Amino acid sequence: MKRKLRPTRLLAALLALGLIAAACSSSSETSTTATTQVNVPQGGSLVIGAEQEPDCVDWISSCAGSSWGYWMLNVQTMPRAYDAVKTDGEYAYAPNELLAGEAQVTTSPQQVVTYKLNPNAVWSDGTAITSADFKYTWEQITTGTDIYDATGYKNIESVGTPDPQTAVVTFAAGKNYAAWKGLFGGGYGIMPSHILASVDRDAAMKDGYTWSGGPFMLKSWTKTDNITLVPNPKWYGKNKAHLNEVIFKFTADTAAEFKAFTGNEVKMIYPQPQLDAVDQIAAGLPDANSAYTADTGNFEALWLNNAAAPLDDVKVRQAVAYSIDRDAIVNQLFGKLGVTKALQVINAPIVNAYSDTQAFAGYTKDLSKVDELLTGDGWAKGADGIYAKDGKPLAITIKSTAGNKRRELTEQVLQKQLADAGITLTIANTKAGDLFGKVLPAGDFQIGLYAQVLTSIDPGRCNIFCSENIPSAANTNSGQNWTRTNVSSLDPLLAQVDTELDDQARAAANKQADPITAEQMVTLPLDPLPNILLWSKTVVGPVSDNAILGPFWNLADIGIQS
Amino acid sequence: MASFIIRRLLYSLIVLLVASFVAFAGVRAAFDPLAKFATVKDQEVKHRETVRLGLDKPIYIQYKNFIVKFVQGDWGTSDSTRESVASMIQRSMGKTLQLIIPGIIISLVAAIGLGVYSAVKQYSVGDYVFTTASFVGIAMPPFWFGLLAIEFLAIRSKDLLGLKQNPFYFVGLHSGNGNSIDADYARHLVLPVLTLTVQLIAGWSRFQRAAMLDVLSADYVRTAKAKGVPRRRVIMHHAFRNALIPLVTVVALDAGALFGGLIITEQIFSIAGMGRLFVGSLTNGDAPVLAAWTIVAASFVIIFNLFADVAYGVLDPRVRLS
Repeated sequence: MKRKLRPTRLLAALLALGLIAAACSSSSETSTTATTQVNVPQGGSLVIGAEQEPDCVDWISSCAGSSWGYWMLNVQTMPRAYDAVKTDGEYAYAPNELLAGEAQVTTSPQQVVTYKLNPNAVWSDGTAITSADFKYTWEQITTGTDIYDATGYKNIESVGTPDPQTAVVTFAAGKNYAAWKGLFGGGYGIMPSHILASVDRDAAMKDGYTWSGGPFMLKSWTKTDNITLVPNPKWYGKNKAHLNEVIFKFTADTAAEFKAFTGNEVKMIYPQPQLDAVDQIAAGLPDANSAYTADTGNFEALWLNNAAAPLDDVKVRQAVAYSIDRDAIVNQLFGKLGVTKALQVINAPIVNAYSDTQAFAGYTKDLSKVDELLTGDGWAKGADGIYAKDGKPLAITIKSTAGNKRRELTEQVLQKQLADAGITLTIANTKAGDLFGKVLPAGDFQIGLYAQVLTSIDPGRCNIFCSENIPSAANTNSGQNWTRTNVSSLDPLLAQVDTELDDQARAAANKQADPITAEQMVTLPLDPLPNILLWSKTVVGPVSDNAILGPFWNLADIGIQS
Repeated sequence: MASFIIRRLLYSLIVLLVASFVAFAGVRAAFDPLAKFATVKDQEVKHRETVRLGLDKPIYIQYKNFIVKFVQGDWGTSDSTRESVASMIQRSMGKTLQLIIPGIIISLVAAIGLGVYSAVKQYSVGDYVFTTASFVGIAMPPFWFGLLAIEFLAIRSKDLLGLKQNPFYFVGLHSGNGNSIDADYARHLVLPVLTLTVQLIAGWSRFQRAAMLDVLSADYVRTAKAKGVPRRRVIMHHAFRNALIPLVTVVALDAGALFGGLIITEQIFSIAGMGRLFVGSLTNGDAPVLAAWTIVAASFVIIFNLFADVAYGVLDPRVRLS
């Protein structure tokens, strides 16, 4: 539901929450150098390199949108109703050990979800986790101040607590929420009402909290240096922690994180897929295991401003798409990891089950098609090889986050490819804060290059493509449809994806929407951003990445050899 | 002497006020404190924050309100972390000091030693060696030297020497979650301090050499030699003391700048000092931290300038009189 850790992931929180698991996605490129099928030793201290420190850990407040904070502490300490798990190659939601089983859902006259709690579920102080905690969490999110994102929770009319082990969540009439499995978990978790109800929640949580409802608990948070976890002695789950202590050591950046790993100062890292990281992995890392996968919640795209000339003309947008060899770009960026094919849908690979994964496959580099589209639209190629219309050359500006080497390389390749096609591309990058805080919301761009990050298994995109969400006075300029996409046939389909409780109907609506986004070329998908996990051979156990819960989702199962 | 110090102190206060205003106005112009509310639906929030931060008032009024609170110890709260800016700067300063203090001491001792030796043994093999090494040190960018030091002194030396662990560490000031002053701490300190000192030693030793040569050719030194004063006594008692005066100025100025200037060293060695606080705040557009940081860094430069002035006055009475 949220998390923005990396500046480039700011948009992450904009996607709506969770969804019901499902069907059939094609497998993506995945590689693991080792499976550690050895007995996991008990005890020991594991030091993990963390390239970002959370600003605060009051998970529901606006200061807590950090992916690393979520992976390091939220996932380890906060109870959740549902977990995103990968089964048979596909991500789906499964009840967390907090629940006694699947929640029961009724849809008439309105959506009601009944959660039955595991009677053994307790907080680290031994107090039972109850329906009162569900109610408290909902109340805090919907009535608190400075809340990061109340999407989904706002649809709830009431949270009933008929008994401590039963929470009845009733959604308001006409406010069905398809992604309900991302609620009472997701990026937030469930908070202990018996501890927090009588105090200022934000003050009690923002700098760390010692209670826990997960397998680990926070031992200490030395600001700017490390976060240390120890096992929760009251953890009610099946798998108890093997490690005595887990230390997340903050490093300055990806380069420092890599150096710390190769120098054996940290035993595990999760670096951003930057060019130098890819090169080093391709060159081989001694005494290390690695796992990388393109089956993630992250993808990068060229976000076209549909309202800014000349991209307000669908023919020009299509011509831009036919000018670009996207596979060549992906191959150049991630070919060494085996990721060579461009994404063919504007959504992350983890929701492929809901997507027409070949919607954009027709957009391959085809300069004759470019010429046909542009000349048919009144553009003519000048002596300089650049198309022009009414005396104005076909010139476009691209904006992205300054200092990101991967994006800078992408832009340079794009510049060359578009020049070959007769389109001038100017690069004008800016600080991430300005890009996401000002430039994109104001529509002050023609093409934006940035990543979209899903933090729940939710294919919903109405928030970024429905016309009602174009920033305007009607939505107090807070709409997230920054590309100003305005396609009437798209709106009802995307709205249905957000509210449809029948999973098959939901997938059908989403798959119907994908070809429309391609035909109208509202945005051009580029690459799935791979996740990379590296760990020392002394770290044993089923180390693996989870696209939603992160690389430390099963930390309790991992151990370290002395 | 007292009037000299008071006069310098007053000058410094004026410079500090001007510097703090420039810093405050610069940060206000470069960063929009309301940027984080760009996508917030509730327009009342922006209005409330505008009033709370005093952004509806002229810049000089904003500065006046800010500086009054600043002097009273209320440095505000970070936009990013909601932590007290004062405690963030205090924590960062502590880490930077752990680098600067040993760095300056080691650099000073080494630079004086090398400078004096090179001057006394002018045009000897040793002088040429140290001179060449100094030029290399001055020309060597800290980020390059730091990375080389990590690669060769920490990582490769382990295999070369057949050790089980790296002889030196390069992530933070302690391993894991340690915080004690012990061998582990020392092994973390070696490389960043070395990186910090290379340029300082190279630069300062050149100053010391030049100053020493100047003094050695002075009339009073020649007179002392002519009177038969032993060479060792001439160098240590007559020449060396006076040759230290120019170096005091250089050291004081450099030390002031170091409080905010270790950005690269701190970044390479993942030490969350003042340099990294600055970079992080800049990246996040954290205006309250940037404003306070700039004023604190400027204050150190001014304070050490003042120190240099006073020290010069103490060491050379002619300066006081002028």
